[in-house]
Amino acid sequence: MAADYVSPFDERVRAVEPLAPRPVSVPGRHAVLLDIRKNRGAEFLDRMETLFQAAGVNTARVTKEIFSKPAALGLIDEIASGAGLVVEALAD
Amino acid sequence: MADGSGSRSDSGRGGSTAPELGVRGTGPGHITMGGLTAGGGALLVFVSEHCPTSALALRRLGPLCRAWAQAGLTAVAIFEDPLDVAIRTARRLGWSGQVATDDPPYPASRAYRVATVPTSVLVGRDGVLAGTVAGWDQPALAALLGEAGQMLGAGLAVPPATEPLRKPGCSAKAAIDPDLVAAMSGPGGGDEPEEMFERGWTDGLPVIPPTAERVEAMLDGRDGGESLGLVPPAMGEATLARVAACAVLAGCRPAYFPVVAAAARAVLDPAFNLHGQAVTTQPAGQLVVVNGPVREAIGLNSGMGALGPGFRANLTIGRAVRLLVALTGGAMPGAMDRATLGHMGKLGFCVAEDEEGSPWEPLHVERGFDAGQSVVTVIGSDAPLSISDHRSRTPDDLAYVLAWAAASAWSTNWWPLAEPSVFVICPEHAQMFRDAGWTKQRLRQFMFEAVRKPAGLLRRGETTPVVHAAAPGALVPKWASPEAIVLLVAGGEAGRYSAVLGPCTGMGSQIVSREVT
Repeated sequence: MAADYVSPFDERVRAVEPLAPRPVSVPGRHAVLLDIRKNRGAEFLDRMETLFQAAGVNTARVTKEIFSKPAALGLIDEIASGAGLVVEALAD
Repeated sequence: MADGSGSRSDSGRGGSTAPELGVRGTGPGHITMGGLTAGGGALLVFVSEHCPTSALALRRLGPLCRAWAQAGLTAVAIFEDPLDVAIRTARRLGWSGQVATDDPPYPASRAYRVATVPTSVLVGRDGVLAGTVAGWDQPALAALLGEAGQMLGAGLAVPPATEPLRKPGCSAKAAIDPDLVAAMSGPGGGDEPEEMFERGWTDGLPVIPPTAERVEAMLDGRDGGESLGLVPPAMGEATLARVAACAVLAGCRPAYFPVVAAAARAVLDPAFNLHGQAVTTQPAGQLVVVNGPVREAIGLNSGMGALGPGFRANLTIGRAVRLLVALTGGAMPGAMDRATLGHMGKLGFCVAEDEEGSPWEPLHVERGFDAGQSVVTVIGSDAPLSISDHRSRTPDDLAYVLAWAAASAWSTNWWPLAEPSVFVICPEHAQMFRDAGWTKQRLRQFMFEAVRKPAGLLRRGETTPVVHAAAPGALVPKWASPEAIVLLVAGGEAGRYSAVLGPCTGMGSQIVSREVT
């Protein structure tokens, strides 16, 4: 029976990407703080930045174009190539 | 139906080797016991999509799977349902372990003598059965996980001891009479509409099964392999065949398909930002506005009840677009569609403009098309708010009433709105503007200038940076520009009820139009 139907789903099965290993400790690491441009996200990142720097973590801030769209590939590449840690601020 | 009592059995102890599984997962090939126990052990959770106790188990155990995996215990939910149903159900319930399906006649369930779902089975690294829990039994599961932790030399998280601590399971299909199983495993127990629900090919209402013949008729010679792009958020590919399948499911006639395809192209334009709209907690849906000769050709209603029920073309075209977003795009409520409330227009929302009854140029002409072209325009929109005005005797009064009805669009003190508010002007209201010689631009400008408030009165609760930055006495407009006011004409000849549809805000979504070809 199944062959008689045209599925509305894209049935291709995608491999599940495993989570990257969590860091055991953070001092000396490089952390990118990603502001997705949602309300008050920057405040959260300000706090994180202070805490990170106190813990000996190098930090850098990057910003998405808008919270409601996926990050540009160039930004993703920039984060992936330069950061050991990423913190993405949600909002509201 | 419920018959499992929620009980711990140690019958598997004593060196019994766990039977091979032979179940299908999301990767290539079959899932093997050796693969599952390679990290140290495996927890098999036999479940069924129909069983509330299975849902409870998946909800309670699901969030723990990742931590177990890091400790060496691989959890796999083995469904008695088709794989696509299994994947969706697991995702919906927050199961973070592996997902597999035991196809009829359920050899794995039979091999493990599963009479009840859920049944949880612990298997050690050496492939030896270590214990079984039938039904939902939190204390027994905590003990089983304690045992697994000892096996792995690690403490494993256990589900919280919250009510219900115990709940009987449901009969496993493998334990039911084979003839009954066959009936249950067939297409919806022999009921095709039910099978559509089982497959998840629905928005919650019954659908027309998308048989190859129906989809072929919908395509009417078009290339079903043509891709219109990827549908966010799941990025399923919108082949024309899948769009046609959604049109069939929605109940469209083949004559509607050019409109559905144009709307699909429009919502997939990156400028529309369907991605943001599809996953937002906002209620917004995708409003489809149709202009041009195609309205008459396919029987779209722009008259009485223009925003309501009763007309197949309006209802099914809007529904087809939403099914494309929900099914091909994966934006089902509770899954990737995170709308807090949503609104009924998210089932489908298609309105045709009453160009013949309008005193103004229609929407598509405003947007640069010729009057003779058929055009679909998509707008991210909230639910309609009706605006009654049977008393205004001047266009100024009427325009004032219409405009101020939108003062609370999006949120009471959220001024100004950059995104479009759509006003559907009823014919009697339109007639007043016609008689007074008001152009569309004049009405839009009047409305824009009419709705203003001192910033000081707007500084309460949710408001905008514009309001915070303005002096308390400075007047802030409801809209950032007159262009944020969209005017359509539609509705029945009698009755002075127009409507305003608030925007989808903060998404950077633009209005997009596509010609119907």
